[in-house]
Amino acid sequence: MIRATNLCKQFEQSIKEGKKTRKVEFLAVDHASLYAKEGEIVGILGPNGAGKTTLLRMLGMLMTPTEGELELTDASGNLITDVTGKKGAIGYLSNNTKLYPRFSIREYLHFLGELYDHSEEEIEARIGHIFEVLDMESFGDNRIDKLSTGQTQRASIARCLMADPQLYILDEPTLGLDILSADAIIRFMQEQKESGKTVLYSTHYLEEAEVLCDRIYMICKGKIVAHGTPAELKAQTQTDTLRKAFHVIYDEATEGGVTV
Amino acid sequence: MKKIGILVKKEMTEILRDKKTLIIMIVMPLLLYPALLIGLSLGMSMLMESQEEAYTVGYLQEDEAYITPLISLYQREQEELDTELIFKGVKTEESHTAKEESDVWVDFSEEQQSIRIQVNYTSTNQSSNSTEDILQDLAEEYREELLLQNLEQEGLTEDFLYPVIYEAKDSVSTAESMGMSIGGSIGMLLITTILLGAFYPAVDITTGEKERGTLETLLTLPVTNFQMIMSKFISVSIVACATAVLALVALGGSVLFLMMAVPAELGESAIQIPIDVFLSSVPVVLLALITTALLITAFCMCFCVFAQSSKEANNYMTPIMLVIMLASMVGMMPTVDLNYKLSLIPFVNVSLLIKQVFAQQLSVSLALTTALVNAAYSIITIWVLAKMYNSEDIMFSDGFRSFRLFQKREDIKKGTIPATGDIGICVIVVLLAMIYLGGIVSARDVFLGTMATQLIILILPLALCWYMKTDIKQLFGMKSPKKSMLPGSILLYLGTYMAVILLSGIITKLFPEDMQSLGMTFEEIMGKPVFWVVLVVALMPAVGEECLFRGLVFGSMRHRYSVMWGILISAVIFGAFHGVAKLVPTGLLGAAFAYIVYKTGSIWVSMFLHFFNNLLSVVAMKYPDAVESVLPVLMKEELSVMEVVIMAVMAVVCITVGLVLMNRKHIANR
Repeated sequence: MIRATNLCKQFEQSIKEGKKTRKVEFLAVDHASLYAKEGEIVGILGPNGAGKTTLLRMLGMLMTPTEGELELTDASGNLITDVTGKKGAIGYLSNNTKLYPRFSIREYLHFLGELYDHSEEEIEARIGHIFEVLDMESFGDNRIDKLSTGQTQRASIARCLMADPQLYILDEPTLGLDILSADAIIRFMQEQKESGKTVLYSTHYLEEAEVLCDRIYMICKGKIVAHGTPAELKAQTQTDTLRKAFHVIYDEATEGGVTV
Repeated sequence: MKKIGILVKKEMTEILRDKKTLIIMIVMPLLLYPALLIGLSLGMSMLMESQEEAYTVGYLQEDEAYITPLISLYQREQEELDTELIFKGVKTEESHTAKEESDVWVDFSEEQQSIRIQVNYTSTNQSSNSTEDILQDLAEEYREELLLQNLEQEGLTEDFLYPVIYEAKDSVSTAESMGMSIGGSIGMLLITTILLGAFYPAVDITTGEKERGTLETLLTLPVTNFQMIMSKFISVSIVACATAVLALVALGGSVLFLMMAVPAELGESAIQIPIDVFLSSVPVVLLALITTALLITAFCMCFCVFAQSSKEANNYMTPIMLVIMLASMVGMMPTVDLNYKLSLIPFVNVSLLIKQVFAQQLSVSLALTTALVNAAYSIITIWVLAKMYNSEDIMFSDGFRSFRLFQKREDIKKGTIPATGDIGICVIVVLLAMIYLGGIVSARDVFLGTMATQLIILILPLALCWYMKTDIKQLFGMKSPKKSMLPGSILLYLGTYMAVILLSGIITKLFPEDMQSLGMTFEEIMGKPVFWVVLVVALMPAVGEECLFRGLVFGSMRHRYSVMWGILISAVIFGAFHGVAKLVPTGLLGAAFAYIVYKTGSIWVSMFLHFFNNLLSVVAMKYPDAVESVLPVLMKEELSVMEVVIMAVMAVVCITVGLVLMNRKHIANR
């Protein structure tokens, strides 16, 4: 389970005023509090630039929050305190987590297995299992720079699986994928949920989120502006689809100043 | 540790699967250098051979009588000469065209008792020039021959003509001087190889990670940033070292090849170094090269981290490469030799060290200093690098921001305390300015040079504080001291002073030459009037050095880390500034001063004590007799065992009492 309390991230932004540029500090994530439990898929929705990626990077331990607290517990409910332990318990996947092009998938997974302290037989067994599940036997020994987009995405999932994390953090995992690959990802998330893992993911596809997510956080300008199950959000805004609900919430949050 | 091992394996696989790296790492040193070296020497000897052509000397047939002695002299020595001369006598009417065609034209005329030989040549023409040289030699020999004949007629001997005989014998063997001349260029060649060997993989696994989008993946791994950066550093170092070793092997191999296989044909133009000397120098060169490889790796990586693309990395690296290559060229300057001051400058030191090795004048202590200095620089650079890898600014965007010096002054908040990086840069800039600027001025005038050095030490820290809008009064401790701390401070200083004298005595025994050279610069300054000596030797260092070491370095470091670390860091830097030989005693003094500043809260106290300390040596140098009569212990070359023991006891007592006085509870609480 992961729980974040009043998470903040401050960035500097250059603003041009005539000839002078001024540096302004602003909060990319502004006191965001959220949690995700075992066996749950939690969606993070929000327009571009709302702070989703920054939030997920902080949750994934890639960035240090300026303020706020982050708690991560393992399957038996014990608090994980050290950074490497936390990173080991998180499977983080985004469009920026590319794989090493000069390795084959098998070599790369082997390297990961060593890092995660698995024994040699364990590693071999895991790789065999992952290749079977993701149907990767045919290209598992190819160098990663020789793979197609769909194959690469499957390789990335294989990367996360190798660690066997407690919590998956996926930043727009279905972005730009064809229907088959996107469905494979969705299936993967559902399987993880069923096996008792936590999935936290951001997306722009509201229809997808509506069927997939147990709970949804809506984020706007770094603040969490709404939270609940898809049904609750629709009820709150008196709409019949999540897409409409999103518009209503967004308009309220920006005080109707901007229409989407 | 195990994780670093796994990561290194991964990085190495990645590096080695890149063809470009392999080419630079293996093909370059293994093929290019031997090809260059062997090709060059073979080419040179071929050039020498091809020079054996005939030059023509034209003269008028009517001058036959004058030239015959010259021709016979030439025939006698023809064997020893590389060039062949053809003497061609022509008739007067043909002389015009003959003057054009021959390399030189000789005219003869008779004066009262002598023969004038006029050689008309063209100085811009190589063959004409060489012919003129030979003719000059011949003419001089001819003249000597005639002279001796004349002497004999007068019944005199050769000694009459040469009452003084001058003969110079070079103690340096030909092998040594050959080594000197090639050693300089080999140092540069090796440094350049390492640079190329480290540069590409460094870009590949730092900037390349960003470019290929794998950096974020790397950050998700369960490893600390330190493990990550260390594994990258180790991997690039391995490649750089491998390149260096390969280059050394290739160079050594080709030198051996030239010595063993070719000398018969090449004769004197081949490089000749005794094999045992050559082989025994290998470990030293290897040690120096490996530490250089570490340093270059750390350097390359530091700059690559900032770059977002390989192109940008190239842009950053080009000036760095130029600077490093220029520094490594110092070895090629014939008059520059390695000494303790130069051994502090990275790249210059290795280049000079390799030259020394080849000239067979290796000093082990200098070689070790060089290796140590380079290792120290590498550690500092890696530490900076690790800091950078911890900075999200650098990892996720362009990150010059984390160094305050790279910030615009208007963006800096008032009262900012310089960060460690700023201090590091400031200290390095002061050091470089001292060595280069101070060195240049010192070469003209030691007195002015010392003054310039002191000014640099004072001005640069103040400039940094101005730029950072630091509250100097606060940071430096420019306040009136806590009076209760003064007696303790003075005792602590006196004790330390005695300890310093004892330690210096020990070090003088260990490094006699070094202390001697220090004494020599001192003598030149001491010749000036008292006022100037006191100003330059006592007052200026007291103000400047206290501002830099106790004010800026200690002030910032104690704020950033702790008082303990502040004292330690400032003391070590203070000691290092005074030369490796004096590191320990001067460092000890620096630590005492820093502690005094900490306890009294005032830099004025340490300034005064520093002034007093340097004044003591001025007085001792200026008025040795007076000091001898008052405090004879100070003037002795060597202390007796009894005196050493007494002094050591006094030092310990003074330091202890001083420390106790400063730490009495009721005073400290006041």
